[in-house]
Amino acid sequence: MLETLLSVKGLNKWFKDKHALKDISFDVKRGEIMAILGPNGAGKSTTIRNIMEIIQPDSGEIEFTGHQGIPRDKIGYLPEERGLYKNVRVMDMLLFLADLKNYPLKQARERALAYLEKFGLGGKENMKLEEFSKGMSQKVQFIASILHEPELLILDEPFSGLDPVSQDQFKEEIYSLAQNGTAILVSSHQMNVIEQICSRLFMIQNGQKVIYGTLDDVKTQYANFKCTIRGENLEQAGLENLPLVVRTEYKEGMAILSLGTETEPAKWLRQLPETLEIHELSIDRISLHEIFIDIATERNLIREAGEVYA
Amino acid sequence: MRNALKIAKWEIQKNIKNKTFIIGIIVTPAIFLLFSFIGSLVKPDEENTLVYVNDQVGAYEALKETAKTQHESWKLEKTDVSKEEAAKLAEKNDDAVYLFLDQQSVEQGNVPYYAGADAEDEFAEQSQILSGPLKAVQLKQAGLTDQELAAVAKPIQFEKAQTLSKEENAEKADDFLKKFVPGIVGGIVFLSILFNGMQIFQSASSEKKEKIAEIILSSITPSQLMQGKIIGYFVLGMIQAFVYLAAAIGIAIWKLDPEVLSYVFVPQTLLFVFIAILGYFLFAALYVGLGATVEDMSSTNNMQGLVMMLPFLAFPLIGPIFSDPEGMVAQVGSYVPFTAPAVLIMRLAVLEVWPWAQIAISLAILAVSIVFLMYAAGKIFRIGIMMYGKNATPKEIIKWLRA
Repeated sequence: MLETLLSVKGLNKWFKDKHALKDISFDVKRGEIMAILGPNGAGKSTTIRNIMEIIQPDSGEIEFTGHQGIPRDKIGYLPEERGLYKNVRVMDMLLFLADLKNYPLKQARERALAYLEKFGLGGKENMKLEEFSKGMSQKVQFIASILHEPELLILDEPFSGLDPVSQDQFKEEIYSLAQNGTAILVSSHQMNVIEQICSRLFMIQNGQKVIYGTLDDVKTQYANFKCTIRGENLEQAGLENLPLVVRTEYKEGMAILSLGTETEPAKWLRQLPETLEIHELSIDRISLHEIFIDIATERNLIREAGEVYA
Repeated sequence: MRNALKIAKWEIQKNIKNKTFIIGIIVTPAIFLLFSFIGSLVKPDEENTLVYVNDQVGAYEALKETAKTQHESWKLEKTDVSKEEAAKLAEKNDDAVYLFLDQQSVEQGNVPYYAGADAEDEFAEQSQILSGPLKAVQLKQAGLTDQELAAVAKPIQFEKAQTLSKEENAEKADDFLKKFVPGIVGGIVFLSILFNGMQIFQSASSEKKEKIAEIILSSITPSQLMQGKIIGYFVLGMIQAFVYLAAAIGIAIWKLDPEVLSYVFVPQTLLFVFIAILGYFLFAALYVGLGATVEDMSSTNNMQGLVMMLPFLAFPLIGPIFSDPEGMVAQVGSYVPFTAPAVLIMRLAVLEVWPWAQIAISLAILAVSIVFLMYAAGKIFRIGIMMYGKNATPKEIIKWLRA
């Protein structure tokens, strides 16, 4: 059982008349990667800013195990809106930010050099940030957030604007930090990446919790099976009348059948009409991406699947 | 406070390494120095005149000594040329003069010379300088003792005694300088920390533009960031003031009065510097708050533009204040917080008797304004620094102030 490091309890925040956060509660544990997901404007960054004490919640508590208040030097933070001073040398920038976290400078310098090397920026520590590309700057920002060996690392959209190679580098690093005991809270739109690394997730929409649990739980609980069939005359095959089919969608010679929670794929497949002309068939769980899209577009596939959620 | 000092240290380091700051700090005094040098360079440069002396009476050494002390540009040399040769040489060498000293010229008091075209006029004008040593030879030959010689050689000097009023005037001029120097020191300190203080605006604004505010605010509070900036630019301003003052005092000692340094270290200077520092904090609060509302300088609104101009409010008052330092303009200016520092410095620099009551009221108004502005700036800074992508509207700023 992993130890809880950060506990958010009953967070509420209003902006004028808008109830931006409604009773948000979750934990982040040591050594886990916890994802906070949701469409734009759902309240992810507001939640994170409350944790960082950049804005104050109207009600609710944030507890950091073993500390009174939030020990900001124990937290690494990569905000969504981020940048660095342009006319400053990379090393100066990194050391300044480490110094603000009360991290010993000698150690910070050694770690900075090692990380720059690791991210393919070896030997560039004396270059000014204005000479860096956006991706390179993002790497420096990421290094800045982990340089002081934080116990909790908060990453708000860490993958945005990264090429696939850098994205993989970040992913691996985040994963290995978690393996070494760092508690990680990450928000992202890249569901495929999140699916690969996170152990638990918290999905939020309109400032409200939609889903909270481990990735597997969420998938079993919410993300049911779907069967995708490519073939001829699908629309006339009466697929919507098959047992456990809760929704049918036809597009470009494909039928996508959303299946109910009790579906056992092997059994269900046997019930397909023998006359059906199948070119391709796949059966898989609805991906996090689809759950996310559903929530974002408020189509609420999950609800149609018969689940009631908070 | 520790975090604020870290920010201050960072701002100082960042700027000190910055070319603009270095150029600014060096170039301004360098320009002053350069102009002083140019002044002395422009003085007509006298070309050396070579004076060849055909000496038959043993006066060469005495002549050389006299020329050395009284007319540096004459270089004396011994020669054996005859008058005929000299006449020819003088035509060729424009800068040469050929002087013939023999028994006859000493007895008759008539020294013939041949001069080149360039040396001709000047030598004719200044040749009397060389008459002293020749007169001595004459007198010696006439049989005077050394003692008599010394008495005759010593020129009679007329010493001008000061009349009473002139003596007073001289003292007054001395007094004026004594009074004015601390004022100038205060003025230099005020202007350098003020101009550096204006950089706070740039610094706060760039925090927004470069989107680093949130990263920094994840480690420290907005008020620590604000304090750090104010302290940092204060130190930078003082460094600049120190360099400027050193240059100004150096030039003053060289050109005006070697005593200037003793006029600087007087108690009055402390008050001037204190006023300058108060002025800095007033405008620093103004600029740090303003900077947090502006991301793009090119689209500032009228209100922001007006606030930017506040420190310059005192400039149009310079004329009226110096012509009447006790007048209405001067007094009112002392009580308006945004003009008070500059007006006080100008008035106190020229006033014979300091109006202590007015000074006290003015300083009290300044202090209260600083406290109020710092508080307001804190509120604006806290929210403004995090607002990316646009400048704040007056309506928003007022809302933040009320929050």
